Amino acid sequence: MFTLFIPALVLLFQEANAGPFAVAWQKAQHPDLSKFLVIGALLFIIGVAGVLTRRNIIVIFMSIELILNAANLNFVAMSRYLQDTGNVNAVAGQIFTVFVIVVAAAEAAIGLGIVIALYRNKETILIDEIDILKW
Amino acid sequence: MTLTGWESVFFWIFSIAAIFAGLLTVMARNTIHSALFLISSLVSVAALFILLQAEFIAGVQILVYVGGVMVLFLFVIMLVNVGSEERGNEEIFNRPRQVTASVIFCALLVAVLIGALNTGYAGFERRDESKIHEAAEGRRTRDQDLAKSATGSSRITNDTSRIGNSLYRFASLPFEIASVLLLVAIIGSVMLARTLKQEASVDDVDPDVLRAEAAVDPELAEVQTKPLA
Repeated sequence: MFTLFIPALVLLFQEANAGPFAVAWQKAQHPDLSKFLVIGALLFIIGVAGVLTRRNIIVIFMSIELILNAANLNFVAMSRYLQDTGNVNAVAGQIFTVFVIVVAAAEAAIGLGIVIALYRNKETILIDEIDILKW
Repeated sequence: MTLTGWESVFFWIFSIAAIFAGLLTVMARNTIHSALFLISSLVSVAALFILLQAEFIAGVQILVYVGGVMVLFLFVIMLVNVGSEERGNEEIFNRPRQVTASVIFCALLVAVLIGALNTGYAGFERRDESKIHEAAEGRRTRDQDLAKSATGSSRITNDTSRIGNSLYRFASLPFEIASVLLLVAIIGSVMLARTLKQEASVDDVDPDVLRAEAAVDPELAEVQTKPLA
């Protein structure tokens, strides 16, 4: 049975070396800009899903951090690509990232201050119970 | 910009870690667990920054996000009561229909983004193919010219000094504006988080409000330095 098994495996690998699977494997061994952008896109979508589905306002803030981080990843990957292809001011992407991090820190400080003030007055941090702006 | 060898292995490890930790951030029932998963996601993204040769950004990411923002998050989680959610008495997601709608929306967004990225990048690659190959060769020779580090096992890049130069040369006005923004954020968050008692002690409460509140809590009128009219 084992002797039958080996030729089958060899056949399988020969098949795999030519098909679209092999091309994908080749590409996976050499991640380029597009892979980084896909990871950024996935992190962004996870963040959006978190903002849309969670009830806890602190977790919503964390999801916003995730979104900003995905944008940072895109900025840095693009900046790396532009450095390689010799375009314009190539570290501009990294400088943008520094500013995004600054704004995210300011946003987190203010947002969490609002959360504490809200909790003191309403005794809850679930967004569907905070409806004082509704008429 | 193509990663090879061990770099690609680390790329897959850290990108899968970042995405799984991100998913668990959104799905964890315990808010503290959420925060810890977010920390591991941020650290994984910092590792991806290192793979992209953006060491300064990776350092800033870990210092500011993990060392600053996430500690703030953890303190706020400890200050507010999330117990009923953790014990399972409270639903952690919105109503099922809202969740279904948003998940479908996100799935569509994933499909469109990834499809568009792949076709778009194919065009990019066709345009810049020769430049990409040249850059890979050029970097290898350039890396040989870099100064050795103290242990001699690696080399020191000048990327950080280039970022600093560009930050002051091209972005000095935004840099100054960012400092004002941070100042406003500090003052704003201190103002927002004050209690009524702290506000009363610096005579910063509307007299009508104070009179109404002091009827419930007589201590409030005492900390006020100006006597109530």
